Amino acid sequence: MIHVGQANVPLCDGVSRRSFLQAGATAMGLSLPTAMELEAAGAVDPKKQKIKNCITLFLVGSPGHLDTWDMKPDAPADIRGKFKPISTAVPGVQICEHFPLMARMMDKVALIRSLHHNTGASHENGQRWMMTGYDFNAANIQPHMGSVVSRVFGQKTSLPASIVLPAKIGNTGTSTPHGQASGYLGTAHAPFFLGSDPAVKNFKVANLEPPKGQTDFRINSRRNLLKQLDDLQRRTETSSTIQRDTAYSRAFNLLTSPKTRKAFDPAEETDKLRDRYGRNTFGQSCLLARRLIENGSRFVTVNHFDTVFNVTCWDMHANGSSLDNTYLDYERHLCPQFDQAFTALIEDLEERGLLEDTVVAVLSEFGRTPKLNNRGGRDHYPPAWTNFFVGGGVKGGQVIGSTDKIGAAPHDRPVLPPEVVASVYTAMGIDLETTMMPGPGSRPVRFIEADPIKELFG
Amino acid sequence: MDQKFEGTPKAEISLDGRKLSRGEVTNDWGLRLQWQVKRDGKVIATPPARAESRYEHPDKTPGKYEIVLQMWKYVNYKKNKQREFISSKFIDISNTVTYTI
Repeated sequence: MIHVGQANVPLCDGVSRRSFLQAGATAMGLSLPTAMELEAAGAVDPKKQKIKNCITLFLVGSPGHLDTWDMKPDAPADIRGKFKPISTAVPGVQICEHFPLMARMMDKVALIRSLHHNTGASHENGQRWMMTGYDFNAANIQPHMGSVVSRVFGQKTSLPASIVLPAKIGNTGTSTPHGQASGYLGTAHAPFFLGSDPAVKNFKVANLEPPKGQTDFRINSRRNLLKQLDDLQRRTETSSTIQRDTAYSRAFNLLTSPKTRKAFDPAEETDKLRDRYGRNTFGQSCLLARRLIENGSRFVTVNHFDTVFNVTCWDMHANGSSLDNTYLDYERHLCPQFDQAFTALIEDLEERGLLEDTVVAVLSEFGRTPKLNNRGGRDHYPPAWTNFFVGGGVKGGQVIGSTDKIGAAPHDRPVLPPEVVASVYTAMGIDLETTMMPGPGSRPVRFIEADPIKELFG
Repeated sequence: MDQKFEGTPKAEISLDGRKLSRGEVTNDWGLRLQWQVKRDGKVIATPPARAESRYEHPDKTPGKYEIVLQMWKYVNYKKNKQREFISSKFIDISNTVTYTI
């Protein structure tokens, strides 16, 4: 027996390949009505796999591991950098002094200090590794984790299964993909990109605003007309029409559902809670992530920055030009902003009873060079870095792996990006041994060709 | 999309002897929060104020002490040749309290 999404599909005990493909296609193409139809027909047992949610905080630009979560206070000055470590709630575990709020909740956090990859040091390489689990292959663009979850498990409500806040990643240096698209799974499972800043006054979701002059009546009229056309078209239905149908249906639901619009509105929260997250783009995006998970989205990605050029971000080259982030940006802006928003998110999820059912993964592209460059910055460094997990089924209060004395390479328990991606899926409750997804050409394949980091679930 | 910071943060601080305490920050931008401690008009310390709402400056050198709560204000990331920010800066977000030793 294998599971395709929530459908239990016996393979070797008399069910034909045709039945398997029919059930699989329906379950994987999953819109809410089809899931309900399957369940009514007894083909789906939703209790078999309780799929949890995921919020990914993606730190575009990538923090220096030696300046944040893998400090080396005994290393020479040009390696240890300017910041000092502080103790945390977990004896023996120290992190940077500029994460005082996170230090208090380290008992919930599982740090992975031995991440590395062996490909080029571009931002895009790291983004693809960490959000798809695969290296770049132009002939076969791999889908974002949220797209995989959308394809296999579908929408729970009218909200898209996968949402990216506040905007898609833009220019980070090269013109290769960023790992936040649906790839070969098709546009119906592309993440919904917010495209607006929830921190601004009078925030409105750009992608939810009907065109000027369009009323709900006109939108619904167009939906009815489209449905009639679709009914005709179904006679010659292909996978592309199914995908388009799903995408249209999703778009109409987004445009017309008051509940959806409400879910996207951070102004529904108290001022006190909005302050706790931080009145800034990242903080309010984290708050929105919680609202969207609470209202039925399965996988929300928050990009902490959408570019590395001419803005304060984690990409600390200190180059005196368009990549001029320095220790001052870390101390005054980046670390406090992350500390505030991340800890607010964890507290808020926990207070609402959502943390057990939501894994929070903090991911980045690579580490930064152990030795400071001649301008006092650090450059791209894929051989070692630190990311971390909280919530879901993850065991907090632990450090997995370590780096050598100067943070140049994993010292023990080296971890590769596909293992992190496998861990995200596992933390969401997906059994990677038995649950398949449609690969290129729709043949069933494993979610990821890697095992999860078993210590996370110990 | 550059980061946006709407409104202006505000907080009240109070003094009990040399012990400082701060109320909650409203319209909190979530950036570095610090006590600015001046003695006889000169800045002598800027300890962090985020994790704890109370602080007592350990220095007992005689003089007039003025303390205010500050937060980092991000305008843009541009820096001058001395690597200091050109437009972004710390701003006062509270009342000022004073004591004399």
